[in-house]
Amino acid sequence: MFKKIRVEDAVGEKLSHDITEIRPGEFKGTAFRKGHTICDEDICHLQKLGKNHLYLINLEKDEIHENQAAPILANGLAGPGVTWEDDPKEGKICLYAETDGLLVVDKANLAAFNMVDEVMCASLHSYTLVKKGQQIAATRPIPLVMKRTPVERAAAIAQQNGGTVSVHELKNSNVGIVITGNEVFNGLIDDKFAPILNKKIAAIGSFVSEITFAPDDVSLIQLAIEKHINDGCDLILLSGGMSVDPDDVTRKGIYQAGATEMHYGAAVLPGAMFMVAYISGIPILGVPACGLHHKVTVLDLILPRILIGEHIGKKELAFIGHGGLCMDCPECTHPHCPFGKGM
Amino acid sequence: MESFEYLLEESARTHGHLCPGQVVGVRMAMLGCRLIGLDNPKSSEQIKKLLVYVEMDRCTADAVAYVTGVKLGRRSLKFMDYGIMAATFINLTTDKSYRIISTEESRDLSDVYAPEVEGKSQRQLLAYKRMPDSVLFRVQKVHVNINEFDLPGPTKQKNTCSQCGQVIRDGREIVKEGQTLCKPCSGNSYFSHAMEISWPGMDWSPLNGKNGKSQAGFVKGTALS
Repeated sequence: MFKKIRVEDAVGEKLSHDITEIRPGEFKGTAFRKGHTICDEDICHLQKLGKNHLYLINLEKDEIHENQAAPILANGLAGPGVTWEDDPKEGKICLYAETDGLLVVDKANLAAFNMVDEVMCASLHSYTLVKKGQQIAATRPIPLVMKRTPVERAAAIAQQNGGTVSVHELKNSNVGIVITGNEVFNGLIDDKFAPILNKKIAAIGSFVSEITFAPDDVSLIQLAIEKHINDGCDLILLSGGMSVDPDDVTRKGIYQAGATEMHYGAAVLPGAMFMVAYISGIPILGVPACGLHHKVTVLDLILPRILIGEHIGKKELAFIGHGGLCMDCPECTHPHCPFGKGM
Repeated sequence: MESFEYLLEESARTHGHLCPGQVVGVRMAMLGCRLIGLDNPKSSEQIKKLLVYVEMDRCTADAVAYVTGVKLGRRSLKFMDYGIMAATFINLTTDKSYRIISTEESRDLSDVYAPEVEGKSQRQLLAYKRMPDSVLFRVQKVHVNINEFDLPGPTKQKNTCSQCGQVIRDGREIVKEGQTLCKPCSGNSYFSHAMEISWPGMDWSPLNGKNGKSQAGFVKGTALS
């Protein structure tokens, strides 16, 4: 139950919620914390903040204050690899990455959670690479006081499938690379692909143990893949030969090496001719030639997901289409751009 | 309780088609029974313990009735014409009563729970299977003041309409200016212009072997007051 009192009459009363102060371009934060006992000197400050009245709150048995609700929500939302503190500021609790890794957001959970009138949560995009300690989401109840039941229901929704936001450490993979193409194999041109792939793989914590060169020959590509598997690689990247020319036989080589599942074509530009296949559970990625030219391609979107153990199939390569068009900016700002974030 | 898939299949067969409302109804009934502590509502031990009030006459109502086994004729199924996708499940032996409401937001959320499915109905159908109960429903603990004349069991009282002579069961008579009336005679009826008629083949019965061949025509009608 709320009782409204004039600020001038509030001296000696305890504030029932945090009061925010905003000085444009200078400061936004808590001016007064919940529980602060109002004294004479505060009156003018409160009035400058536009507060001419304050609430005194008497909670009913089935009601909770925003500061009690916020940790219930945060607890429901936080999945593995996520940390938070039970110290709401202005009714809000921030959730942080407990480790370096890939943020995964259960978007159905998040949507259903936010459909509960009394609560909200905003997060970074799913599949954003994050650093330990980075804020990934924040939640707060909307009203100052609310019934406990919808808060608990929202938390139950958020808890589905182990939580709504989680941060997964990237696996430290032993990567084998097969560079295909007669032109490189026969020394007509220098290979430019291997250094690019090497750099991308190292940047996300894995390492390239072997690089093999193969001509546009199905059997030799097959042998190169098999060698990497026998040598213990748990992820194999093949470059080139992914397009539509008669010489593009990389896909056949992957098939002949025993791929049981092959998904050719991704709804991403650059990267439409990308392939994901699996041989005995080992992911095989066919990287099209665009990887030579563009700084960021479909590989940058899919590789981290592979490294957290996500199984990439037709659905994953299709759903990435919304936001899957690179703007090809003169100066690339990825990952601080919409590319790959529309899912 | 049978599995969800089995109940859905059989409910859809009984209802006539599989639709999102069937999924909602089957799940609503499974949750309702769980909340009031009945795990096999159609069994002879439990069938008399259950009362269900449905607040809509749509597909969901049939699914609720199928899963729980409640029936209008057993007086275990009550229809409250509220136009709300909700039903209340009552355990008569414990007085536990829960009203389960299908959430409106679950319709919008189908797009995120089953984005790969084309077509609204098919998308909802799959999405309603995927959603947890907490998304699909809100639940209220309620008290239902059950009139003794509403309970299952033999007819508890009969009265006769002082105007038309119709027997009225279970306290549904209206007393108006000291007169006991049936609802139609009290003016509180869903029909009007009632006129008693004769009809072709009115001498037919299942056992008389005439197979409805008598061709008595309309003779005359007698208006009922």
